[in-house]
Amino acid sequence: MQLLQILISGLATGAIYALVAVGFMLLWQTSQTINFAQGEFVMLPAFFVLAAMKFGGLSFGWAMLVGLIASLLILGLMFKKLLVDPMLRHGVLPLVISTIAFALFLKEGVKEWYSAEAQPFPAVWATTNIEVAGAVVSVQNLVIIAVAVVAVGTLQWFLAGTRTGRCMQATAQNPGLARILGVRVDRMILYTFLINGALVALASFLISPIYLAKFTNGETLGLAAFIAAIVGGFNQVRGAIAGGLILGVVDNLAAAYISTQYRGAIPLFLLIAVILFRPQGLLGRAEERSV
Amino acid sequence: MKRLPAVLGLIVLAGLLIAPFALKPHGIYLLSMWAVMSIAAIGLNLTLGYAGQISLAQAAFVGIGAYCTAILTTKFGWSFPATFVLGAVLCFVVGWLLGYPALRVQHHYLAFVTLAFTTLVYLVLRNEEKITGGTYGISGIKRPVLLGWATQGARDYYFLCLLVLAVVAFATWWLVRSPWGRAFMALRENPLRASSLGVDTRRYTLMAFAIGSALGGVAGSLYAPLVEFIDPSPFALGLSLNLLLMVIVGGSGYFWGPFLGAIVSVLLPEWLRVADGLYLIIYSVAVMVLMVFCPSGLLGLAERIFKRPKAANAAKVAT
Amino acid sequence: MSAVLEVRGLSKAFGGINAVEDVSFEVNEGEILGIIGPNGSGKSTLFNCILGQLLPSAGSVHVDGRAVTGMRPCDLNRLGVSRTFQLLQVFPQMSVRENLILAGQEHQGAMWSRLFGRRDAGLSEAAQRMIDFFRLAHVAEEKAGGLSYGQQKLLDAAMAFMAGPRLVLLDEPAGGVNLTMLADLRERLRAINAEQKATFVVIEHNMEFVMALCTRILVLAEGRIIAAGSPDEVRRDPKVIEAYLGH
Repeated sequence: MQLLQILISGLATGAIYALVAVGFMLLWQTSQTINFAQGEFVMLPAFFVLAAMKFGGLSFGWAMLVGLIASLLILGLMFKKLLVDPMLRHGVLPLVISTIAFALFLKEGVKEWYSAEAQPFPAVWATTNIEVAGAVVSVQNLVIIAVAVVAVGTLQWFLAGTRTGRCMQATAQNPGLARILGVRVDRMILYTFLINGALVALASFLISPIYLAKFTNGETLGLAAFIAAIVGGFNQVRGAIAGGLILGVVDNLAAAYISTQYRGAIPLFLLIAVILFRPQGLLGRAEERSV
Repeated sequence: MKRLPAVLGLIVLAGLLIAPFALKPHGIYLLSMWAVMSIAAIGLNLTLGYAGQISLAQAAFVGIGAYCTAILTTKFGWSFPATFVLGAVLCFVVGWLLGYPALRVQHHYLAFVTLAFTTLVYLVLRNEEKITGGTYGISGIKRPVLLGWATQGARDYYFLCLLVLAVVAFATWWLVRSPWGRAFMALRENPLRASSLGVDTRRYTLMAFAIGSALGGVAGSLYAPLVEFIDPSPFALGLSLNLLLMVIVGGSGYFWGPFLGAIVSVLLPEWLRVADGLYLIIYSVAVMVLMVFCPSGLLGLAERIFKRPKAANAAKVAT
Repeated sequence: MSAVLEVRGLSKAFGGINAVEDVSFEVNEGEILGIIGPNGSGKSTLFNCILGQLLPSAGSVHVDGRAVTGMRPCDLNRLGVSRTFQLLQVFPQMSVRENLILAGQEHQGAMWSRLFGRRDAGLSEAAQRMIDFFRLAHVAEEKAGGLSYGQQKLLDAAMAFMAGPRLVLLDEPAGGVNLTMLADLRERLRAINAEQKATFVVIEHNMEFVMALCTRILVLAEGRIIAAGSPDEVRRDPKVIEAYLGH
């Protein structure tokens, strides 16, 4: 019935939020980077693909690969080396300002050098519907959920099941100690940036077919990433995922049942409530306060 | 060499007084905007730069001040000074209340709470059409006549903004140099130690929020008649981020930081307009480069350059 | 005459671990009480409970007969209780003089009067006295962050005394201080104890320092008091020797 449809589309949107929130959270945990440009990071890869197709004449498949690699290089490697590394020892605020400026740069760059108009983005799936338990569900939503599940599952396996992954977790929890134990902390941090690059690219490819690629997409997506990460739990991957899904579902339910005018307020109230009463997030562990 | 800052200051002051007679209306408008934004940035510098509380809510207070003045003067015929005072008081109270979350959470969490607050205020301004006019905004905001002085003209209104800025600057200078200023800095640098010395961290935190917010309201009250038409869009997260940028780029915790930051944020994009659509791109790159090479802002950079010999001497004495 | 500090049945548990268990003692005016004990014996936890940094699980703390258990540190300070920290806590961006003025300013009148009153809250003279007393005159205008470790320790102590407190709790004042400065520090502390008639409670690891400075000693082990008395008595107490050597 209708509720099931709303739930599934909510989970689909939520799955995308989850991908973005996980990346955001990983960056925060391992290197104290609050990436205010995360929304723009999700906006950009789609334009890499479009540019590759338009100016490079590549087919969609190859263009996506180019887009992924560009994302890893620019939003992962270069972001870390050029912007984050020089500023880490100066505290959080200068880095925050830089990411704000970077977000502006990416946004205006796309507007100026590609287009200010919304661009259609091809989808990898069929735009058909199927019936599940008497409700009409779009294949699109199911594919999104499936892809996100696979991506997150792979990430979880990587973090918990491989040596490198466990080193990354150690770095996130206690970089000083990790360093003493022989973990190559700087390399681990680089990996988180690369993983974020991959996650935002994936989110971009999933969301752009639905909302079209436009240079202003970053604003709402960024906010969604912050809210999802904080509500779910800032220090666990599971938390960010839960946060994303909750946000997606709540958002869709609000849109369906509450006045659309104040729909945007619900996630904000959720955010404020969580920060004030349970700052570690719904699923997070209580952070140790250094006295 | 010691007289340099004073001489520089006099030149700048003279420039500010003479400029409106040499500039076209658009130039005067920009200078007025600089003055207004400086006031808001001074408020944020108090909360963030001196007291160490991260606030992304300043845009909401500018909005509250602006709408307060706009609604009360156009719809209810209040006098400008009355709305000015009410706006400041209202923002003070709301800012005080907003400070309570600051007592419970720190830093990044506080940033997000204030971010949410800003967005909520924006939503209210946008949705409550009957009061605020919603997305249609409020137009025809008149510039006041004060004690016979008509400020309708660009030049006159500029001098009003400059006057308010001067008063705010003086009051802030007084505050920062007083024991309160010392307490704010202690709060920023080491709240634990400050508390153990009798500094009522709770009161001072709330006060830092309240005063900073009130100044945001003051800026808003001046903003509305300057632009003569307001709608909710300028008072969203973007402005909060912009004001934050002004404070950090100018130099957080430095007295003259907000003035410099406002120049960068208001005037630099204008000067870059010759580069057409690229001006925001150049601006953002300039900010990133500045942050990479001098995270303590322009005044931090200046301090490094001019005080280097002094610092070397101090280091020798200490060992 | 009630004791300046009275601790009764104080306990603090973290999860299943009793960091402090049923500690009771009194400190009278002018005394210098030392609290010693091996690592992990609960000294710092005890301090933090007395000072309002931690809420005790049980027991009470009274200052001059007044119940202060769980009071906020800033309120406690305004009753005349001050402290120094084990890990240095000065304000690095402010000058030495400014640090000292800050340390005393909150005791001068009401908050509002401090906004409109004098810049230095009338404390320039008092600050200068402290600077002279602790021999920091040559660095008085330097930023506190640029001072040497020993100098910062002196500043830390000076700040604790600015407001003329009744009771001062010193957390490892000798930690990391070199030998020559140590004797100096001890002599300064004894002098200010006599001059201001302040009462001290000192946590220390440095045996020699504590024995020479304090008039009375308490020994803590595993959260409990195992011995109390004059420095000589405690030094010879077999339980104390065992507590230290037994680890």
